[in-house]
Amino acid sequence: MSERFKYREDREAHNAARVRALEALLIKKGIITDRTVDTVLEYFETKMGPFNGAKIVARAWVDPDFKRRLIEDTPKAIAELDLPDGMAGAEGEHMRAVANAPGIHNLIICTLCSCYPWPVLGLPPYWYKDPTFRSRAAREPRAVLAEFGLPISEEVEVKVWDSSAQIRWFVVPERPAGTESLSEMELEALVTPEAMMGVAVAKAA
Amino acid sequence: MLTQFEHFAVAEMLGKPDSPPRANGTLCFGSEWERTSFGIALALAKEGYFEWDDFRDELIASIGKWEGDHPSDHSSWNYYDQFLTALESAVVKTNLLAISEIRELFGVSGQANPQ
Repeated sequence: MSERFKYREDREAHNAARVRALEALLIKKGIITDRTVDTVLEYFETKMGPFNGAKIVARAWVDPDFKRRLIEDTPKAIAELDLPDGMAGAEGEHMRAVANAPGIHNLIICTLCSCYPWPVLGLPPYWYKDPTFRSRAAREPRAVLAEFGLPISEEVEVKVWDSSAQIRWFVVPERPAGTESLSEMELEALVTPEAMMGVAVAKAA
Repeated sequence: MLTQFEHFAVAEMLGKPDSPPRANGTLCFGSEWERTSFGIALALAKEGYFEWDDFRDELIASIGKWEGDHPSDHSSWNYYDQFLTALESAVVKTNLLAISEIRELFGVSGQANPQ
């Protein structure tokens, strides 16, 4: 085994021991408990994230009436679902869904990461806040989408939505063909954050 | 607008030098120690043991120092290496733990080395 790999293994073991020591001391002093890390990270791992958006989109795919309500009044429709508190209020109160359809592709961009529809989409990828991405996506969305591996034909209209403190957009992608037999839960697994941003489409597994 | 501390804390970092790795809409941890480091720092700041901004100053300084020490070869870069170093430094500076306590528990095999 080369030295290159040895360094990596050492670092893993070394840092694992460092953080175990810190955690043990902080617990011993009563500053944190053995549940603290899980509790604080629960917010990202189970409460606010793209799994919520996936549930919303999957429901829209199986229930056309829900989809209609979702587009008409997004927070109200989201509130129908059994999602964590705060999804349709506080952080997400100005949420607006736009639906892709034959002939329409939607793309969302935003200037400030605080305006990203985080409760539904989770954390934005690193390129999302890049000023180049934002300005180019607004100016030449087709070229940017093509670079993402998503060429959009000329017959399809591309709509770009700029999120702000007032409105946070997310995309309801089209249900992929060949998924008629899938359950709502199986459909959730096909909904990616990228598809809900409009830089990708949902695909059958 | 940002009513949740967790949300605020991470949103502040995005697009900055200390922006944490993420994938598919969530924080991206390569191993358990990375996750634990992040969770401890966030929890301590949430409980008010130190200011998140002060912790971030430590982290950004730690990242800057690493970059200065590795001007061309970034192959050994690990974000959470720097994060853990900043966390050790923060708990010592705020007197939550003493350097001697960390070293004692850490034993002779390695050395915690808060600046």
